[in-house]
Amino acid sequence: MKKKQDNEYAMIVDDVSKKFKIYYDKPNTLKERLVFWNKTRLNYHQVLKNINIKIKKGETVALIGVNGSGKSTLLKLMTKIIYPTTGKIITHGKLTSLLELGAGFHPDFTGRENIYFNASIFGLTASEIDKRVQDIIDFSELGEFIDTPVRTYSSGMYMRLAFSVAINVDAEILLIDEILAVGDQHFQDKCFEKLQELKKSDKTIVIVSHSLDAVKKLCDRGIWIYNGEVKKDGNIKKVIDEYLKVCG
Amino acid sequence: MFKELYNYRQLLKSNVSKEIRGKYKGSFLGVLWSFVNPLLMTLVYAIVFPFILKSTQPHYVTFIVIAILPWTWFTSVISQGTNTIVVNGGIIKKVYFPREILPISIVTSGLINFLISCLIIAIFLIFSGIGFSFYIVLLPLIVIIQYILQLGLIFITSSIDVYIRDAEYIISFFVSMIFYGTPILYSSSLFPEKVSWLLKLNPLTTIIESYRDIFYYQQLPDLQGLGILFFVSCLILLIGYKIFKKLEKGFAEEL
Repeated sequence: MKKKQDNEYAMIVDDVSKKFKIYYDKPNTLKERLVFWNKTRLNYHQVLKNINIKIKKGETVALIGVNGSGKSTLLKLMTKIIYPTTGKIITHGKLTSLLELGAGFHPDFTGRENIYFNASIFGLTASEIDKRVQDIIDFSELGEFIDTPVRTYSSGMYMRLAFSVAINVDAEILLIDEILAVGDQHFQDKCFEKLQELKKSDKTIVIVSHSLDAVKKLCDRGIWIYNGEVKKDGNIKKVIDEYLKVCG
Repeated sequence: MFKELYNYRQLLKSNVSKEIRGKYKGSFLGVLWSFVNPLLMTLVYAIVFPFILKSTQPHYVTFIVIAILPWTWFTSVISQGTNTIVVNGGIIKKVYFPREILPISIVTSGLINFLISCLIIAIFLIFSGIGFSFYIVLLPLIVIIQYILQLGLIFITSSIDVYIRDAEYIISFFVSMIFYGTPILYSSSLFPEKVSWLLKLNPLTTIIESYRDIFYYQQLPDLQGLGILFFVSCLILLIGYKIFKKLEKGFAEEL
């Protein structure tokens, strides 16, 4: 923490490549491993090639690109869910990812209990959660339903609760994967406002999104990933214009 | 490593309580099953051995209760611990958190169950008239050694299980075999002289014998043996942690 000011960068992606193994018949048991030990057809699929990105503290960055270009893989690498084949990623500061909303929600527990459980996955302590729990409930607009089990929720309510927890964790770096489409128009607007508020409070935000209008308003910098490589990196408007020329 | 675990202590806490409460969710007796189960097991052995096999061990029920409760801790840790990563695959693929929290919470929830079940041992000691001795102060030492040993073991088994799912079945076979290779139902002195070295190789022998020494025989346990075991357990923990850390990087992809 004390070195916070020294590090100008929130995240440094240093020459990262990622290959996935592709099995045609994945040997999951010992028998299969022994019988087919050299027969398993194994291919590598290179998802990312030599990615170099430096993200400064307080920057809002949008990763854009067509489906299958490697954006989400890059985001997963940044959260340390998966690890690069070569190269390394260095992050400075507390990181929260909103890759999959409501991961780890327990259907039999109430909304309130799930707030505690979910926030603890993000690394918060009980007293920190106590302080935030009212904000989270207010933001989710779940009202009295907060004390009923999550399995009774509609999918919209579920997403609202999940988003509210993740957004209130107070991370320094926020990684978001295509979730600007949470709930109804009213809630979407609210999420967008919250993100803008976070941006002003100097948080680093990385968003993967296909809603170009939204990211154009929110982000300063755009990175276009094309076939696992950085095709263009710079001002969001220029990157989107270029992107639309090719893929639009 | 410790700093990160400390930051995630709330997750560890809620995971431990989920392990303890969630296991018997939906059953009438709930958490009580963790104590009823070993007692029922004891009942079976208490009937079979003195009557059918004519065992002459005095206070035989107390004799086996003292061994079965730590054994229950061991088996539940190994069986749940081995597939903890696989079972929690859903979360692992979606969120980052220190993965070692999962095995640690398995061993810790087992520890809490065991500490509570020590009350059962106490009840048996009182009612059998054996009573307590001063050597009970050594209990934490044995518990810590068992904790370290088990954590080290499931660091290894849980991470291997992700890659080779057979591990679960192979290990559950070994566990039921070790049950007979550990002096739980019998005293190690009954073991034939020639193969007694085999019994000594089993780390659980030292642990179970030590529990028996402080509770049942009321004598000083084999401190030298415990010392060696402590050292070995730490080594297993260290190696296990290294293996876990190495294999951990592929968890999200393999699950």
